[in-house]
Amino acid sequence: MNNSLLLPLILLPLFGALLPPLFHRFGRTASAWAAAVVVAAALLLLLSLLSPVFGGQTLLYHADWLPAYGLNLSLRLDGLSMLFALLILGIGLLVILYARYYLSERDPMGRFYGFLLLFMAAMLGVVLSENLLLMLVFWEMTSLSSFLLIGYWKYRADARQGARLALTITGAGGLSLLAGILLLGQISGSYELSVVLDSADIIQAHPLYPVTLVLILLGAFTKSAQFPFHFWLPHAMAAPTPVSAYLHSATMVKAGVFLLARLFPALAGTELWFYLVASTGMITLLLGAYHALFKHDLKGLLAYSTISHLGLITLLFGLGTPLGAVAGVFHIINHAIFKASLFMAAGIIDHESGTRDMHKLNGLWRYMPHTATLAMVAAASMAGVPLFNGFLSKEMFFAETLHQGWLGDWSWLLPLGATLAGVFAVAYSIRFIHDVFFNGEPIDLPRTPHEPPRYMKVPVEILVALCLLVGVVPAWTVAPLLATAASSTIGGELPRYSLAIWHGINTPLLMSLIAMLGGALMYALRHHLFALHARCFRPFDAKQVFERLLYKLILLARGLTEVLENGSLQRYLGLLIGSVVLVTGVALWDTPLSGPVPSAEVDAVTLVGALALAASALTTTIWHRHRLVALIQLSVVGLVVSVAFVRFAAPDLALTQLSVEMVTIILLMLVLYFLPQHTPAESSSLRKGRDLLLAGGAGASVALLAWGVLTRPYQTIGDYFMQQSLPGGGGHNVVNVILVDFRGFDTLGEVTVLGIAAIGILMLLRGLRLKMPAADGEGRPWASDRYPMILAVISRPLLPLALVVAIYLMLRGHNMPGGGFIAGLVTAIALILQYVASGIAWTRARMNINYIKLTATGVLLSTLTGLGSWLFGYPFLTSGFGHFHLPLVGEFELATAMLFDLGVYLAVIGSTLLVLANLGTLTLINREMAEEN
Amino acid sequence: MLVEIIVSLFLLIGAAFALIGSWGLVHLPDFYMRLHGPTKATTLGVGGMIVGSVIFFSTQGEGISLHELLITLFLFITAPVSAHMLAKAALHLQLERVEKTRDVARKNTSGPCGK
Repeated sequence: MNNSLLLPLILLPLFGALLPPLFHRFGRTASAWAAAVVVAAALLLLLSLLSPVFGGQTLLYHADWLPAYGLNLSLRLDGLSMLFALLILGIGLLVILYARYYLSERDPMGRFYGFLLLFMAAMLGVVLSENLLLMLVFWEMTSLSSFLLIGYWKYRADARQGARLALTITGAGGLSLLAGILLLGQISGSYELSVVLDSADIIQAHPLYPVTLVLILLGAFTKSAQFPFHFWLPHAMAAPTPVSAYLHSATMVKAGVFLLARLFPALAGTELWFYLVASTGMITLLLGAYHALFKHDLKGLLAYSTISHLGLITLLFGLGTPLGAVAGVFHIINHAIFKASLFMAAGIIDHESGTRDMHKLNGLWRYMPHTATLAMVAAASMAGVPLFNGFLSKEMFFAETLHQGWLGDWSWLLPLGATLAGVFAVAYSIRFIHDVFFNGEPIDLPRTPHEPPRYMKVPVEILVALCLLVGVVPAWTVAPLLATAASSTIGGELPRYSLAIWHGINTPLLMSLIAMLGGALMYALRHHLFALHARCFRPFDAKQVFERLLYKLILLARGLTEVLENGSLQRYLGLLIGSVVLVTGVALWDTPLSGPVPSAEVDAVTLVGALALAASALTTTIWHRHRLVALIQLSVVGLVVSVAFVRFAAPDLALTQLSVEMVTIILLMLVLYFLPQHTPAESSSLRKGRDLLLAGGAGASVALLAWGVLTRPYQTIGDYFMQQSLPGGGGHNVVNVILVDFRGFDTLGEVTVLGIAAIGILMLLRGLRLKMPAADGEGRPWASDRYPMILAVISRPLLPLALVVAIYLMLRGHNMPGGGFIAGLVTAIALILQYVASGIAWTRARMNINYIKLTATGVLLSTLTGLGSWLFGYPFLTSGFGHFHLPLVGEFELATAMLFDLGVYLAVIGSTLLVLANLGTLTLINREMAEEN
Repeated sequence: MLVEIIVSLFLLIGAAFALIGSWGLVHLPDFYMRLHGPTKATTLGVGGMIVGSVIFFSTQGEGISLHELLITLFLFITAPVSAHMLAKAALHLQLERVEKTRDVARKNTSGPCGK
């Protein structure tokens, strides 16, 4: 069963994220509309799927992505995903409306909505994923996009730091989750949820279950801000309030508890689960509730209360009982609704009065009675007052704490903790209302508070109405959604539970009563408590600790970098070569040197060649301080190598080596122009000794390795290529067929790298002003005859001749020595000769080619040739060839590989000339400057 | 048999010029004289080899082989130019000369051409 409507559900906001920034030019409202339309469309799509899901079906979508790794694009919409998707899209829509009025004119609104939709897509991906690895991808996306949202006011240091803190904590959790999910997939044999959820017995009996559980819980706890990772959440309050309302009510932090709910059937029910999850939940519940009371910042209070409520939900799932899970799901719904409205109310107060400090905010009832009423309803729901939705789930929570069987004689701990947290919750809820809306007169507010724009209150009104509806008539409103979501969470029969408001006088009701009275009493005594808190607790700022740790880490990294990478090329080379010698030496120490293959006879010609090679290498080293002489010696090395290629029957390589040699010499000559002709002796003799040792060691290692390999029998893959070249690639020249056909993908990569390197060099040269020597090393001035006539005149007829040679090499390349690479180099050399002989201005006036475009055209042509084979249903870069007959020309062959080779040809010309011509231009600039002076 | 003798003769001529050119490069007293050495080797030396090659491959029964002449063509274009450039550079740098070359320089102000 493949439901094709699931994928658009994620893709709509993902690609819709582009719309608000595009519509921004038509005004802020247009941008908001664009975002709202996208979300509304996704919501409608979701609602169209409501009835099958409520009928108990699980809608699935599957498409293979990387099946070999178990990563598939498979989605799932069941009750739990439906609940979360509804919350994400529903509250998201309200937040879009709210943010339109919250953000100021200066804030780039298109970007805000873009980030918000991106985040929404990531959240939808998390809740809709059937494949666990896919879920992880979206999980990381939520971390990244929430970073963008939290740091939206990027000019504010606290926003940047808060965003970084959140990203670090949730990102680290994501890594741990990745490890956990990989283990889980290995244990259950699949990453698909349907399989994993059915393998509870296998998973829980597996020896790796504890490790898996801890890793997955780390992911969930960091995301849901559970103790001891809770500290990132208050700092994320630096975000604009719509972001807080969205991230910390319905989405981001709920992803953690969603994970607990999602994997509940597979992981829950063990003793370990209970102790880990329930105790973390309990500590977080109490810690958050306690801190919330002592926050003087309106959003800070809500942040800690969010932490506390997340702890409550975690605790409920931690109990491991079906009823606990039902209560947990129910509280997820209720908390999302009332916390979103409270954040929005806090945002309105902040927006209209200019501060969030509860020391200053007093008696706002007179200025904004409407907002006050809304906030009161939401706060009553948060406190768990009867007839509001928070009451129902809190009653269920109290009841569940009484029914757990793990703690034995210590069972009273849970209800006690729960009641205590309830007391604090009531106290901070009263504080939120009484301190802000009553309690005397406002003190020293930046602005005179007044009611917000009409539409800014609409989202709050809708949410508050939901609080009341769920609280008063739960059976007619939330019951079916809860039943569907809870049953898919548990993955089996729903236990009996009742959503009635009145259950008679029982223990949970008594606990609620104690919480109410205790909370009121605690609020009445708040001044004493604040004083006590201030005396006993030194303020502890997690962000500062984090920043300090981060700073130390940066220092450590910098120190380590200094040691290894201090900018000295000699040191890099020394480290590199030294470690190569060391590693190969240690690894091959015990291996016998010679193999059974006897060495071939040494003939005189080869010996002379080898001696010439060794002599020129040695003289290069000896004369390295005379740069030009060293360069000449170096070119001898190159020539001998080319001759060696000819001798050992590799004419292609010889041609390539020869042309590369020429380009290299031109390049080095251009560079030498800027350098003094002699270098002073700088190295100490100790250093020279070290370098000698390193170079000798490396040379000896390579020689010994070559000896070792050559005296051992080995099978080459050459025979295969020799046999397959003509039938498989349609060419007689095996080297060329390998380059353009068998290993065409490699060549494409290399050509691309060549182009990138050339553009990189161009960027390095741009704006470079080198000090040009006015004279050579001996103080003799440069010749005044810049472009000698004979050279200039003779080089011109050479160009067409060289081009003919290049084209000939290129065309015959498939069957005889040649090919695009060599032809490209030959052309490049012929062209560079024109630059040298007649000057850049002269050449440019006659041949104005954009080499960047030429390079890009070449790479593109090669790529397109490769893609072309897809049109015929073959894999990338499959080549086709055929023999044709033309009158006059006769029988000839055409292969798509030639087109590919043409791309290589163009790219080589482009990138070579890009580098050489621009280096040459550099000398021109300098010369002009020198002449002006 | 006759072909082989002729080919060998041309190879020897080419090799002799290459040897003489190298010898001159080492032994002639100043730069301008030394310049003659390599130009002999690239023109006459390589030329001899090429004539040998043309004769040899033309008598193998696969028709007349003339593309070696392209090498000669390219050499005839490039060798004088490079010698000219070298001489120009030497004049600019005012390298040491022996008495004989100094006279030539005085008569011909544009400098000696290669070859």
